[in-house]
Amino acid sequence: MSVAIKSAIDDAVIEELRAIFGHDDGRVLTNLSSRVNRTRVPAPFPVHRWADHMPDLAVLPRTAQEVSEVVKLANRRGIPVVPRAGGTGLSDGAVPLRGGILVDCKLMNEIHEVDLVDRTVTVGPGINMLKLNEELRPHGVFYPDDPASYPCSLVGGRIGTGGWSLLGARFGHTRDLVISMEVVLPTGEIVEIGEGGGRKLRKSSTGLTLKQLFTGHQGTLGITTQATLELVPRPEVEFAAFFAFEDYITAWETMGVLTKSGLATLAGVVLFDEWKIDYLRRDDEAYIPQPESVKAVVAVAMYGRRCEVEPASKEVMRLGRSRGGRYLGDEISAGDWASRHDRYAIPLHGRRKDGQAVLMSWHCEDAALNYSVLPQVREEWHAIVSRYRERYDIFDDWGMFAYTSGAHKPWADYLVEIDVGIWEQRLDDETWSAWVDCKREIAEVSLKYGGSITACHGATRAGDAELVPTEMGSAWPVVKRIKRALDPNNVMNPGKQSLDEAYEEERL
Amino acid sequence: MIFRLGDQAPPPAQRINDTVVMRFEHVYEVDPDLMGVTPQQSMPAWDTKRIVDSRWDHLDWMHLHFADDVLLAGEESETMPEPDPPIPSEQLPQPRPVGD
Repeated sequence: MSVAIKSAIDDAVIEELRAIFGHDDGRVLTNLSSRVNRTRVPAPFPVHRWADHMPDLAVLPRTAQEVSEVVKLANRRGIPVVPRAGGTGLSDGAVPLRGGILVDCKLMNEIHEVDLVDRTVTVGPGINMLKLNEELRPHGVFYPDDPASYPCSLVGGRIGTGGWSLLGARFGHTRDLVISMEVVLPTGEIVEIGEGGGRKLRKSSTGLTLKQLFTGHQGTLGITTQATLELVPRPEVEFAAFFAFEDYITAWETMGVLTKSGLATLAGVVLFDEWKIDYLRRDDEAYIPQPESVKAVVAVAMYGRRCEVEPASKEVMRLGRSRGGRYLGDEISAGDWASRHDRYAIPLHGRRKDGQAVLMSWHCEDAALNYSVLPQVREEWHAIVSRYRERYDIFDDWGMFAYTSGAHKPWADYLVEIDVGIWEQRLDDETWSAWVDCKREIAEVSLKYGGSITACHGATRAGDAELVPTEMGSAWPVVKRIKRALDPNNVMNPGKQSLDEAYEEERL
Repeated sequence: MIFRLGDQAPPPAQRINDTVVMRFEHVYEVDPDLMGVTPQQSMPAWDTKRIVDSRWDHLDWMHLHFADDVLLAGEESETMPEPDPPIPSEQLPQPRPVGD
């Protein structure tokens, strides 16, 4: 079995790295704080085992050539390489499992070209979408990749994760919005990956379409060093409407009506369940003084030209009320929609069983599920979390939501989250193990109902990773062959997604 | 402008439900009795107002960042047609200093 090991780093390796970076010591970081701060992401983390997940050092490249030299060095020496962008992921893609060299892409944050004729923007992976859109605004164009982490995540991380966008039903998700990429492969070669032909072509049928292979691999197949992205016309107007319901099933049916409406400006529809409403009711940051009769909420958002959105908004109001939904009013609708990135800006707290508020981190299960199975999955997920909360008073059920997930096709696929608070300060080996078991049980329900473990965050978390072979099924041997062919020494983010299995067999 | 320390003490908390209190309109807090594990800091009135104002600025900014204009249905809430009647002062809990 060929697995890169952290102990391969020594003074000679550090000196080689310093030479690659022109002896710019500010870009080869071996000090403790630089390593500690590049260890975890916002997903629940075994804080009692922090040191087990630290990189041995971090580097800050500015060019693809520097990334390439680092990766070639890692191959020669058998050292793990872990790419990291904003470190805002809700899975563990950027968390080193075996130490090694962490490649932090934040300095690769240039806008290389804005092409207003062919409607593309070419950027480095270290640029943030909010900052990018501030630069694009004078041109009347927009890059519409809008995750909850919009103010702080980076383009490179979005590509590595295969991210999902809150506006995806209207504009598509990350993989739909990336036209082509420059990628440093696990062996160090620099290649152009796209549909085929030039880097600004949206569709080609010449050969294999490699672009999707390099989107969402969680840093296991290479490092994106440049990306050419889609530009859309900046929306003239946004419209949001929130509707309250007295039961989940009526809300679910109404969501089905809205998503099948055929309204092209529909950017997203989301259904919050009773547990989520209760969580918001008790929270001091977002307390919703709604009557107890409100047991579920459906929210709709639209973007586009005024001449499209204005008539469509009237249809949304009609459909939202078609089964008894009650409008929550302009202030909540507009204000809560504008609050959609809050989870990255506020401290989170949950409750012990005695009601005491404690600081918690937030696990977001993010299964991909079809519309038809949402009610049953919801019941089974809450039952699992309730069982673990009863036994371990460090977990809290923060409710569920289901959000349209099909790019340009909002009617059938949903990103479905159950949000679980975890009191990390009280984690130890027993409770962390319990959490991983809980996580695995939740994921197994998704698979049982024909879903996927993850629509957005990636399957690199403990409790997910071991189920990747099950979900991939008959395609798993193909996945392993691809991994081994591209990364013969298993240096690229090793230990993730059960891909070590690719190296356990002499002949595939 | 004259800064009067006495003006900056938050008003007494008004109970909203079993777990939430309110000192300023629409600014909700976890009942301090439930903050025994996680200590709270004392916050003067001006700081609370600053945070609330910043919040509105943030929401306005976010709207404008994504589109030129916000289209509204132009309708009030259908779930809360009437505001709750004010709670008689004799039924309010005794004022508690912040941070107790």
